[in-house]
Amino acid sequence: MNILSQRWLLNRRHFLRGLGATVALPLLDAMIPMRASAAAAAKPKRSVFVYIPNGVNGMTWQCAKSGRDYELSESLKPLAKHKGDFTVFSGLHHPNGLGQAHVCADTWLTGAKIDAQSGRKYENTISADQVMAEAVGTQTRFSSLELSISSGTGHPFGTNTLAFSRDGVPLPAEDNPKTIFNRLFGEEPGGIAAQRTRLAKRRSVLDEVFDDASALRRELGKYDRTKLDEYLHAVRDVEQRTERLDAWLDVPKPKVDNKLAAPFQRDVPKAQAGEYWRTMFDIIVLALRTDMTRVVTYMNGSEGNGLAIPEIGITQARHNLSHHNGDPVVLERLATSDAFIMQQFAHFLGELTAVKDGDESLLDRTMVLFGSGMSYGHSHANSNLPILLAGGRGIGLKHGQHLDYNRPHLKDDYTLSYEEWRALCGKPKDEKARLNNVLITMLQKMDVKAEKFVDSLGTVSEIL
Amino acid sequence: MKLPFLILPWLAVAVFGATPPEKHVTAFFEQHCNKCHNEKKQKGDLRLDNLAVDFSSPKIMGNWEETMNRINSGDMPPEKEKRPKPEDIASVADWIAGQLREAEAVRQATGTDKVAFLKLTREEYANTIRDLLGVTFDVKGAAGLPEDPDWKGFERIGSVLTLSPAHVEKYLAAAEMVLDEALSLRPEPKRELVAWAAWDMRWKGFQKEYEARGIADQVRIEIVPNNYTTDTWNLDVKTTGDYLVRVKLSGLRPEGGRAPRLKVYLSNVDKTIIEQDVDAAEDKPVTIEQRVHLIAGKYPVRIINSVPGPNPEGRRSRHSGTPNAFTNTRSRVPWQIKLTDDNFKPIQPTLILDRVEWDGPIVDSWPTATHQRIFSSSDAREIVSKFAERAWRRPVRSDEVDRLMKLVEKAQSLGDNLEGSVRMALVAVLSSKSFIYLEEGSTKTPSPTLSDSELASRLSYFLWSTMPDERLLELARSGKLHAPDTLRAEVKRMLADPKSQAFADSFPRQWLQLRRVGMFPPDKILYPDYDDNLEHSMVAETLAFFADVLRRNGSLREFLDSDWTMLNERLATHYGIGGIRGDEMQRVSLTPEQHRGGLLTQGSVLSLTSDGTRHRPVHRGVWVLDAIIGKPAPPPPANVPALSTPAPDQKKTTVREKLEQHRADPNCTACHTKIDPLGIAFDNYDALGRWRTVETVKDGVGTDPKLDASGTLSDGRSFKDAADLKKLLLGDTDKFAAALTDKLTTYALRRGMTFSDREELKRIAEQAKADDYRLSSLVEYFVMSPLFVKR
Repeated sequence: MNILSQRWLLNRRHFLRGLGATVALPLLDAMIPMRASAAAAAKPKRSVFVYIPNGVNGMTWQCAKSGRDYELSESLKPLAKHKGDFTVFSGLHHPNGLGQAHVCADTWLTGAKIDAQSGRKYENTISADQVMAEAVGTQTRFSSLELSISSGTGHPFGTNTLAFSRDGVPLPAEDNPKTIFNRLFGEEPGGIAAQRTRLAKRRSVLDEVFDDASALRRELGKYDRTKLDEYLHAVRDVEQRTERLDAWLDVPKPKVDNKLAAPFQRDVPKAQAGEYWRTMFDIIVLALRTDMTRVVTYMNGSEGNGLAIPEIGITQARHNLSHHNGDPVVLERLATSDAFIMQQFAHFLGELTAVKDGDESLLDRTMVLFGSGMSYGHSHANSNLPILLAGGRGIGLKHGQHLDYNRPHLKDDYTLSYEEWRALCGKPKDEKARLNNVLITMLQKMDVKAEKFVDSLGTVSEIL
Repeated sequence: MKLPFLILPWLAVAVFGATPPEKHVTAFFEQHCNKCHNEKKQKGDLRLDNLAVDFSSPKIMGNWEETMNRINSGDMPPEKEKRPKPEDIASVADWIAGQLREAEAVRQATGTDKVAFLKLTREEYANTIRDLLGVTFDVKGAAGLPEDPDWKGFERIGSVLTLSPAHVEKYLAAAEMVLDEALSLRPEPKRELVAWAAWDMRWKGFQKEYEARGIADQVRIEIVPNNYTTDTWNLDVKTTGDYLVRVKLSGLRPEGGRAPRLKVYLSNVDKTIIEQDVDAAEDKPVTIEQRVHLIAGKYPVRIINSVPGPNPEGRRSRHSGTPNAFTNTRSRVPWQIKLTDDNFKPIQPTLILDRVEWDGPIVDSWPTATHQRIFSSSDAREIVSKFAERAWRRPVRSDEVDRLMKLVEKAQSLGDNLEGSVRMALVAVLSSKSFIYLEEGSTKTPSPTLSDSELASRLSYFLWSTMPDERLLELARSGKLHAPDTLRAEVKRMLADPKSQAFADSFPRQWLQLRRVGMFPPDKILYPDYDDNLEHSMVAETLAFFADVLRRNGSLREFLDSDWTMLNERLATHYGIGGIRGDEMQRVSLTPEQHRGGLLTQGSVLSLTSDGTRHRPVHRGVWVLDAIIGKPAPPPPANVPALSTPAPDQKKTTVREKLEQHRADPNCTACHTKIDPLGIAFDNYDALGRWRTVETVKDGVGTDPKLDASGTLSDGRSFKDAADLKKLLLGDTDKFAAALTDKLTTYALRRGMTFSDREELKRIAEQAKADDYRLSSLVEYFVMSPLFVKR
């Protein structure tokens, strides 16, 4: 049985039964002949979202020139090798996110209006990755994968996850590479028959609690059942997941050979930030190349837990660095920290480039959105967000430019001064430059049938 | 501004309809807004001349909010128009903010739902499992539940708690796991003792030699601070259950320094199972014993000396050059680091470890007591029905049992025996809406007040954070619980029960928003002394302080000021108070020179309102307004510019001075004259709550500036420092009692308070006042009030 079977549609599982023993990786590229014979399997489309907290040092992040012949800024230099594979954006914002503080991570992929200041009821909405998961999730064993620097959901206004369900409920993330590896590739105990019985029982239990709750629901009025509906939706959803697990039972999990698995079998302390980040990026690459999922969110840091980087002498956590109060020493550290994070991101793009998916690279079939929901951390400003979109050329994205929505509104060239940076982040120069325009572009590329995402005004034609 | 009571009559109507705003608001609009936002001209699609208040319309309330934000930030009226007076802006913004809070509380109120579903918090879930099945569910562990969202610190607001598919999956898995542990459907687990001696843990290579020399029994392991922090020993737990962990060791404290601190930590699940200071002479080791719940699996265990400080072993950090195993502090060779001075007095906080034991699983009987109680009958229907009744905390109907019995049949068709098939029905009981939620109300017999079963649960989750016990359930079954005499006796009994510790922990944690302590960890460079021990001790002080007032039925005044507090050694050292030893919180008398007393000057409160780099007077003021005065400040306008940093050649300035420049803008002044004095009063306490008289300022020239904590409240009364402000607050105990009552009722009723509760709240506060504001009496008056049984 080979890896690529994962990518076949579920109704093929009968055909796959009996193909026999597992074969160790090599991964995608070894499978071209099989794919050709299984012409039904369309080429996969994937999306990854990578979040960094608390904004960046805009003076070293901002690329001064716009358009195709722009030059990479100091912070972006580590990405030089991949310059043709991504687009840098300036001037993007979430209209609903203006003037908010650390709730910007909660709404980075949802664009929702949540008022963090007045302590109003917290109501988030579905995140873009979950809209994608609804569209392409059934094609893989896991409809999406949620990863983060801290496990769980965190708390409102201080989320540990980027993913929110259709009900706006946060989906818990995993932070431990070993746990993630075992969830993806670990063997279920007891063999297929025992598993099937267990799942059958689970479905019976779910049926029972669902019937029990819907019996009451019928007696309630139309406006009278939001919490019960939430419960019913959740139970229904788990029922569907259970059915899917059952359907995938006959498709063996890919066997990852020991050498590839080894990095994920140890504990990587977060105190070794670079090592931890690379390991997390590596497991994303592994999940994608084995086609365990096509949608991944990853918080490289959360607003409250952006790691210190002792290995390069930065002992302050990112939140502290971001409240620099204009201090040049702290700003310098923030810039160093930004560049270090970009080195790790370059590693990720490098790995995605190195893996072949058919005659393309994995990066060509994967869109990667990278950035923050904050721009100028010191006063919690959320305009002119630092955003990059990489990869996905095989899906139809065009790259290699700096798409600068500030440019038409600037009198002179960028001065890259502190005051300029602060002013750019305070208020959008172009109120039409919305981050949701990028998200709707990605959504459509993932075959989501939608014209609009929250407050989007249209797709970003410059990258199509 | 006060929300005047005279507007109550028409506010009460506002729930289901629109009402016009108050006169001064209308007047403000007429003067400044209506010219551009009227019937004919609606700039920005907004019309203000007829904007009414309608709590049921999110759109209209959204317009109000937008209006408030625009006026507040000075965006509106536009620059070319006449500026409104700051105090007018403040009063309009305040009035709107009050309406918005009201609208939010109305949305949380569940009385209008036929049936309300209030999800158990994860803490309540774990406690309920404990009382129902007698097993520990590690709710924060890997197989636990996601953290609950909070609303202004409250983690149990029905409308805020959400349920995702991930929750349902976790509930299912948890149900299976706790039932497997609680029932005896597996082979009887064998209790085993796993012991790690010094030989096993470090000195393997030396064993033969030392045995030959006859001193094998003298070998020990020395652990200096921060050394061996990543070494692990593997623990293989075969059976899930409770284990006794015993650690035999000495702990050498250098004179005038801190005791070494033992930390036993499972690194792969990020769980600390023991952490405490150890003070025990080298020749008088002690044994520390802790009962812990362990889930079957493999765990790398770290045994660490977690007292902060540099690792005296430095880079070397390992005993590679050690010629012999450690036996005592006198037998050091010259190139090893010194543990003692020439008189053999310890100079490092050093742990000397002899032995670690893992003893378990501890099973009190087999089959377990829970198993015997659940399977007391051989009739599946009876078993399932009895279990559901207890788990759901109410009588069950036969159609509900019918559905559960279908599961028993299904399991039997899959080959399960009686016990196995019943287990499947029990999993369903624990995953059912009636277990996960507190249900209030009925479609069959609608009522404005709670039934006796619902009352039993509300009471029990309020004071115990867990399910009602057998006595409460019995009183509910027989319909006696709501009778005043019974209810009063029950409150007293419940407060006296050790389970009320859950209230003494959870309520102050949520009321004071203690979850925010350590949320943004203090900067390691600016605050090198900060450690987990300090963070825990800060929270522990506040909780122990609250518990002490509760147990003594002390007065609420003590929360504002007191001549005592609860300290342990770590926190006392932090405060600069000498003579306190050990980890345990103990009652300590205070003198005025120590600058403590009451909640407001406790480290927890002072640090949760800081940001990890400096104190934040505005955050502190906002916190005091909300938690103590009960008049939350309106939200700040968007994107306030940062406080300026003076040029390098300028004189150093305090945060207060920077704030004052910043506040020169009249739009800011309006709210900040109310907020800032309440924060500035605490300027003598740094970001970690340490007392100081000058502010350490990095930028600028000259000496660090002196602090000035004096101020004037918005009502004109002045104070010279925090102690003085406390006196003013004590003079306003009525206001504080009202604020605390509001928080207490929000906690118990799981929703914000609305205008329709206000009369009841007032009466409760009056009763408390007549009783010298005593805390547990306040709890009792509240439970006895009509508000407590209101749906």
